[in-house]
Amino acid sequence: MSAGEPLTAKKLAATIVSAIVIMLIVMFACSLVGPRVISFKAVFSPAGPVEAINPDYEIFVHVRLPRIILACLVGAALACSGVVFQALLRNPLADPYILGISSGAGLGAIVAVISGLNWTLWGRSPIAVFAFVGALGTVWLVWFIGRTTGRSNVTGLLLAGVVVNAFFSAVIMFLTSVAKSQDVHSTIFWLMGNMTEEDFFVLWVGAGSVLAGIVGLFYISPQLNALSFGADDARSMGVNTARTQMIAFAIAAAITAVAVSLSGLVGFVGLVVPHGVRLVFGPDHRQLLPVSAVAGAIFLVAADTLARTVVAPAQLPVGVVTAIVGGPFFLILLVKYTRRVGWLGK
Amino acid sequence: MSIIEVSDLSFGYSEAEVLQGLSFKVEQGCFLAIAGPNGAGKSTLLNLLSGILRPKAGTIRIAGAAIESYSVEALAEKIAVVRQEFVPVFGFSVIETVLMARTPYFGRMGFESKTDREIVRLALEATDTAQFSSRRVASLSGGERQRVFIARALAQNTAILLLDEPTSFLDLKHQVDIYDVLKAAQLEKGKTIVLVTHDINLAAQYADEILLLGVGRSYHIGPVDDILKTSRIEKVFSVKGFTGRVRNQSFFLPLGKFAKDRGAAQMPMQPRKSNPDNFPC
Repeated sequence: MSAGEPLTAKKLAATIVSAIVIMLIVMFACSLVGPRVISFKAVFSPAGPVEAINPDYEIFVHVRLPRIILACLVGAALACSGVVFQALLRNPLADPYILGISSGAGLGAIVAVISGLNWTLWGRSPIAVFAFVGALGTVWLVWFIGRTTGRSNVTGLLLAGVVVNAFFSAVIMFLTSVAKSQDVHSTIFWLMGNMTEEDFFVLWVGAGSVLAGIVGLFYISPQLNALSFGADDARSMGVNTARTQMIAFAIAAAITAVAVSLSGLVGFVGLVVPHGVRLVFGPDHRQLLPVSAVAGAIFLVAADTLARTVVAPAQLPVGVVTAIVGGPFFLILLVKYTRRVGWLGK
Repeated sequence: MSIIEVSDLSFGYSEAEVLQGLSFKVEQGCFLAIAGPNGAGKSTLLNLLSGILRPKAGTIRIAGAAIESYSVEALAEKIAVVRQEFVPVFGFSVIETVLMARTPYFGRMGFESKTDREIVRLALEATDTAQFSSRRVASLSGGERQRVFIARALAQNTAILLLDEPTSFLDLKHQVDIYDVLKAAQLEKGKTIVLVTHDINLAAQYADEILLLGVGRSYHIGPVDDILKTSRIEKVFSVKGFTGRVRNQSFFLPLGKFAKDRGAAQMPMQPRKSNPDNFPC
């Protein structure tokens, strides 16, 4: 990596392959760590009689592997979504939840709990389904309100996000105060970040949709570079800004909604990972997006491993760990790289 | 040949008319400065010419075709725009920023070709920005930064450059540097330059023609010496002053209420032969 030099396809390919290798190593290492330390050899060694259960194999395949895959796809989705929202809103403080996705998902989840629904859709509970619908519906509402203030009005979009967020938060508080305490407790716990998922079908569908979203975002990454200079500038450089903004918003909102419906609200990943990657690799979205996806996956796998080990056999909500670990980590990066290239690579 | 033709153009925000019945032509390779008081519609006109805004009435033709007939990509092949002083939020380097001008020409995988790199290299050289090509744009001075954005506009390889007050926050030296770069682009590469400015004296030095937009929807366009008349400037800008010539260049000197009028009457309207710079101020 040489700061300031233009990116080449060869350099990008080398960076992505290196990042994926590191991710696989972290995934493998974290799958062996937990309240019960298991060894790779033990996982795949015969358990004795045919009907006997190999506990290491059971833990690895049915508990840790799905959890690690889930953390990977949620971390990748949130990090990429953060990159996109920061670019489109030209706001370093933007994160995947800035346009009201969190309150929309929360409202959806609370409504599902209060309604007492008891069915599953493709293996998902009503809470997850309603959270997904609430998240996407809120982004659409914010986008619709924001666009009425002007096609390229970023401030209008942000204000619409703040107002809708505040309104939905108030509705959540109201519903929380009238709902039964047990229902509310389970919903709040779910919203704090929940990395348990045993259904591989759900995981593969989630991973497929997140991967498709990341590929789609990569495809428009040169246009995102231009949009970082504002819609008018990008348009005068030949970028169809309306189309690019709509595609980017739709994909970022969709992958965030997928992440929220799978794991609740995991904070900090979408804010800290894009900045960390930007400080080290620069702001070019052709590199920033794929590297942030891998870095987000690594970050959340590591954070979730801490969440399930530090107070074992109990578990911490992963959002607590992402904030506690991510904050100082980000500060170290900030101090180290600000000395070299200035804040945000200036 | 006229590369820009504006006929009976009108535009307004809500109910307030900003431009009304504006008609003018810009010849290919001409340097046109657009001047006028605040609120006269200079930046609005530039946004109309760049396709950001759509006219309420009238037509704009670029290279013979109506501006509405161009796609965003096709218009970017004809017109490049440099806006007012701007600091990017994220830390793109100079070369990354200038390369963005080639975005519509990138290959399917989103990377520039050798031709794109050569065009960018020439643009950096033309604006004297190659020396800091790997530095972050945000770390540059205002003058250097504007030269980078002009380099980006040049890298679009368009026939027309539109600039909205590109020197508004710069000191005198950097203002002159920017105008020199633009004049070179006009003379050496045949670019058509349309520039919005508040500095009519600097514009008078470099531009071939001036479009003077007045409040009350009046406008005047013509060669610099025809437009820079005392009564006209006083009327358009609502300020007292006088025009003169130094080194064969027209200028306007405004005189405010407390200005020291030390011998305007003796002001030579033609430069003295012995010392053309000897201006009695």
